[in-house]
Amino acid sequence: MNQGEAFKIHELPRLQNPSLIVAWSQDAGRLGSKVIDLLNRKLGGREMGELDASAFFSLWGVQIEDNVIQFPESKFYSCETRDLILFKSDSPAQEWYKFLNTILDVAVLSCKAKQVFSIGGFISSMAHTSVRRTIGVVSRPELKEFLLEDVPDIDSLEYQTPLGGRPTMNSYLMWVAKRRDVSCINLWSEVPFYLAAAEDPRACKKMLAILDRKFKLGITLDDIEDEIKSQNEKIEELKARNPDIARYVEMLEKGIMLNQEESEKLAKDVLDFLS
Amino acid sequence: MGVSFLKEPGIEKSEMIAAWPGIGNIGLIAVDTLRAMVEADQFAEIEPWDFFYPLSVTVKNGELASLDFPASRFYHKRIGEKDLIFFIGEQQPAHEKKGYQLASLVLDVALRYGCQRVYTCGAAVAPIHHTMRPKVWAVPNKTGLLPEVKSYPNTVLLGEIEGRSGQGSVTGLNGLLLGIARARGLDGISLLGEIPVYISQFPTSYPRASKSVVEVLAHHLQLTLDLSNLDNLAGQVDETIEKIYEQIPPEMRQRIDQLKSVGVSGEEAQGPITEDEKRRIVQNVDEFFKKGGKA
Repeated sequence: MNQGEAFKIHELPRLQNPSLIVAWSQDAGRLGSKVIDLLNRKLGGREMGELDASAFFSLWGVQIEDNVIQFPESKFYSCETRDLILFKSDSPAQEWYKFLNTILDVAVLSCKAKQVFSIGGFISSMAHTSVRRTIGVVSRPELKEFLLEDVPDIDSLEYQTPLGGRPTMNSYLMWVAKRRDVSCINLWSEVPFYLAAAEDPRACKKMLAILDRKFKLGITLDDIEDEIKSQNEKIEELKARNPDIARYVEMLEKGIMLNQEESEKLAKDVLDFLS
Repeated sequence: MGVSFLKEPGIEKSEMIAAWPGIGNIGLIAVDTLRAMVEADQFAEIEPWDFFYPLSVTVKNGELASLDFPASRFYHKRIGEKDLIFFIGEQQPAHEKKGYQLASLVLDVALRYGCQRVYTCGAAVAPIHHTMRPKVWAVPNKTGLLPEVKSYPNTVLLGEIEGRSGQGSVTGLNGLLLGIARARGLDGISLLGEIPVYISQFPTSYPRASKSVVEVLAHHLQLTLDLSNLDNLAGQVDETIEKIYEQIPPEMRQRIDQLKSVGVSGEEAQGPITEDEKRRIVQNVDEFFKKGGKA
């Protein structure tokens, strides 16, 4: 890492006009990190660089997850055969504007990327058996055409951060990209609230299918289909053991909202059972 | 990291009055009230993205329309022979380093316009009763300013409160700005309006204290102001406080009422109330509200 630079490129990949796909490790249903991991595996992605953790994360101690010490990561991967750059990162704790600009410096200035895709999950009061809806946001109107097939109602999307909330890193990235005149698209897939802290392979599959079509990746989705099947079977098992859970899922399938207590019980029991 | 200038105010020599949100929004309401009353015009704004996370995003027809950040704005007004710069920030940075950078940037703008003195305004959490007129705790950044500060109306020196022997601290940007101002050769005075200790954690403003701060600034600027708007605001907040006060059990209310006889600087002290007792009162009130207002 050169002094004063917030990033390190291990090896500059041979890319033409690549697209950058960005995802965050702390995502609903682990959608972002799972999609990037699967793309890396299926496309033979190679780690090409990283951002300097000390510039963007609080390093006074470390977090522990599942009994293991964690360390923040912000890594770039290249898939030369598909002209793609993948970026997976923990959400920075400070210097957000510099962080997002550094991502674009690496992708646009160093690798000549022509557009940015960011992906993520949004939590929904839905059943895990329901079809995942996708919503999209673009940085400039002409990009809507690119999404029409997957997000036909994009023109009707109106949104404002609710009181007490705050914008996502994806929204912030789009704003920074727009300021730099870089095309940017946010794609979001629904994640049932009770899978938000676990994994949602169905949402991952939906996102992968869209990316496969858009970037002509030619990937197979059989393995993730197996994961969906396996998760469904586990939840069926839980429903069989616990009539309350069966009732809550059935209510959601019928479009009936759960109250807070029911929602919390469903989320906790499903997470405990799937862990 | 920069400042956007909307216009050139043409100032050669000035004073600055600054405030940010804080306890009871005392400083913010005081400075914003004064700014509005003298009809100061905005002339610059600090670019927020280096200091703050955005507050909200707006999407229209599927397209990103805007991302809104907390604002940090400069205003100017010439009053007689005096040019006043107001700085009003909507948020304080979360990290110390960013606080230092922001304060430095504020002073860069101040010095660009020949600023010679900076006032910061905020809150002083004090063992007073909410029916009392709040005093203003003041602290300058140079010894030479002490006689002037002592002459301000309804004001006590922070370092002379309850045997502090000249010691104390001013937290956040209110203190930091004046520390950096001192290092850069500028005069600075912090004015902190008293808020009753048992109200300081409430999510409410405290316009009574804002009024006390405005009165000190008006005295310094030789301005005669109609502060009835602050009185009205204070009246509304008083009603809310009284409603809460009525819910407090009589025994606890009696203890809080003991604060009526306490003068923070000591000169008005009539009743014997110890530090321990003050702490217990605050603790009792705190526990009362944690239990949902049930004795």
